[in-house]
Amino acid sequence: MGARGFGLLRRRWTLRNRVAWGFALMALVLGGVLAAASWTLAASYLNRHQEHTAVALTADNALLIEAELRSGERPSTHLLDRIQYSPGSLAFLSYDGRHYPNATAREKKLASVLGVDLRSPTPSRLPTMTSPGRTTVNGSSFLVVSVPLRDGSGNTLTELYPLFDLDRTLRMLWMVVIAGAVIVGAAGLLVGKMASRRMLRPLADVTAAAGSIAHGDLSARLQVGEDPDLEPLARSFNRTAAALERRVHADARFAGDVSHELRTPLTTMINSIVLLQNRRAELPAEVVEPLDLLTEDLQRFRRLVVDLLDISRSDSGRADTREPVVVADLIRRAADAVAGTPVAEVAPGAEGVVLRADKRRLERVVSNLVENAAVHGGGCDAVRVSRRHGAVRLEVDDRGPGVAEGLRERIFDRFARDGSTKGPGVGLGLAIVAQHVHWHEGEVWVEDRPGGGARFVVELPVAGDVRASRAAPAARAETASGSGRSGARVRRWRWGSGVHVMRPE
Amino acid sequence: MTRCVLLVEDDPRVRRVLHLALQDEGYTVVEAGTGDDGLRALAGSAPDVVLLDLMLPDTDGFAVCRRIRRESDVPVIMVTARTDSHDVVAGLEAGADDYVTKPLVAKELSARIRALLRRTEPLNGGPRCIRTGDLEIHVDEGYAVRDGEQLGLTRTEFRLLAELARAEGRVCSREHLLERVWGYGYFGDSRIVDVHIRRLRGKVERDPGNPRLVVTARGLGYRLAG
Repeated sequence: MGARGFGLLRRRWTLRNRVAWGFALMALVLGGVLAAASWTLAASYLNRHQEHTAVALTADNALLIEAELRSGERPSTHLLDRIQYSPGSLAFLSYDGRHYPNATAREKKLASVLGVDLRSPTPSRLPTMTSPGRTTVNGSSFLVVSVPLRDGSGNTLTELYPLFDLDRTLRMLWMVVIAGAVIVGAAGLLVGKMASRRMLRPLADVTAAAGSIAHGDLSARLQVGEDPDLEPLARSFNRTAAALERRVHADARFAGDVSHELRTPLTTMINSIVLLQNRRAELPAEVVEPLDLLTEDLQRFRRLVVDLLDISRSDSGRADTREPVVVADLIRRAADAVAGTPVAEVAPGAEGVVLRADKRRLERVVSNLVENAAVHGGGCDAVRVSRRHGAVRLEVDDRGPGVAEGLRERIFDRFARDGSTKGPGVGLGLAIVAQHVHWHEGEVWVEDRPGGGARFVVELPVAGDVRASRAAPAARAETASGSGRSGARVRRWRWGSGVHVMRPE
Repeated sequence: MTRCVLLVEDDPRVRRVLHLALQDEGYTVVEAGTGDDGLRALAGSAPDVVLLDLMLPDTDGFAVCRRIRRESDVPVIMVTARTDSHDVVAGLEAGADDYVTKPLVAKELSARIRALLRRTEPLNGGPRCIRTGDLEIHVDEGYAVRDGEQLGLTRTEFRLLAELARAEGRVCSREHLLERVWGYGYFGDSRIVDVHIRRLRGKVERDPGNPRLVVTARGLGYRLAG
């Protein structure tokens, strides 16, 4: 068996299946043993009963014949015909070396059937016993009973009782018993399946909770039940999750607090600089240049503080700022405003699509992408909006050198710089894009633009398909971890959890 | 005529620099370091607009805002910590007309002030007074009457009402209202409109929980039902 076969076996023999089949096997064995025992008991009882009846009947018939013979009757087939037999049974009287068959025996040509000469004194192949025996005549089973007459001359009355009815009854019983055993086995499988599902439910809960955490919902917890076997697991899981959540939020809060504290002195600085700039003409020439340097860096500093505050917004306790937004309009306005010229092209299918979105965040996504194209991508070439697979797709193309394969994931990290420090960016623009796209349950990635340059793609799920898009990442993560093919691109970037979900092309 | 700004801000350095910068923009500035000082200055100097920091040392900024509202319909611009906090909605509900976040720049602040002090544009050739339901809106005079009684609307609330009335029953999108009343572009914060609509309903509707006059057009905006 190849590795593939083993893998298949392993997948089939999951814990759940093992438990279910274990139950089934146990039930089958138990049912089988019970069935065999009950069949054996019933069969032996029925057989014994039949033998007793047969011996008693034959003995009675022998007494009748004795009485007839005593009253002077000669042994003859006629004599035998006067006796009542149980239905279908064959009888013959062996008297002084001669055999006298009854009507049924004559009809069935007993002699030829048994291959014995009824005229010979010792019919060798006939059972000559008083205890019952079995013989098969013409494919039918008979119970053979021989009873000696009490005249002491060795004469006997032999009867063959057909066992057809008994055999049929036993066959029927056998089938019932087998069917019973099979049903018990199947019931065992069913019970096993139910029991295993019940047994594994806590495990399924753990899997679901861990999955939610991996996908950024740090508030996922397990319910601590009263089961002493499961409680420690749930408790330690919850402790770990809580610690993780605290840590992530503390990190976010720290950045937020720092930038928050910086904003008060920043207000003083910026307004002072503006006052100085307003009096630029009155200042000595040698002061003007440092003032300009200061102004420029102060603007960058302001941007940094605002961006830091933006990216450190904790998702917990957020006010719901979603509202219905005509997404193509928003993108057009934001992109055109940043580019300073109409750049947005909206496909007819995307026109008029309404999303429940946060206008401010979405505007940041668009303006940051267009700005990024202008600053790092040699200029924004096109901004396209289209509709596909239950999502609105935004593409921002630039004329730059493109983004190297190895950087495509890292580029969405905070302070990921391409080495150049020119331009007004502070290194948070794309991280903010990723965070805000994620906030909308969307995806963002960068790919090569056909004909050179980079293409940043954002896909935002359209309301109604939200469930589908939520379910998708887990499946994608699975395929990615299994294959690890090259050319994977970042589909989803989660702030805080640091989980990167890759999707192969 | 120079406009007067009352600056309620606890940090003396910020207060000082904003004073200087706003002066540079052509305003006269009255400074107040605490909420109580601010309320005293409001009575004393009759400012055209109040800039109120919500994080004041002595009193809760929201309480100060409510007290200002009880005494005056002067436009109040609050300074909040961050745009996504609940402070924005709470401050607007306490009666603020608009908000800004730090770091504030005098030039941007000046644009906000100008927008709030804009007068309601007179109707072009139309009637001076619009009647809708049991409401009379005197656009030029800047007041509204219901059952012969003048409603206590703030300037901003009145301008919002007038803007809705001007549409003659058509739906006004929140972006349109943001632009016309607050001077924001498309990307203004629609919560400002929503909270003001709530406040407006509290004053013009007989049952604010079941509005008959200022109706929501779901997903589109608001309109005035005649």
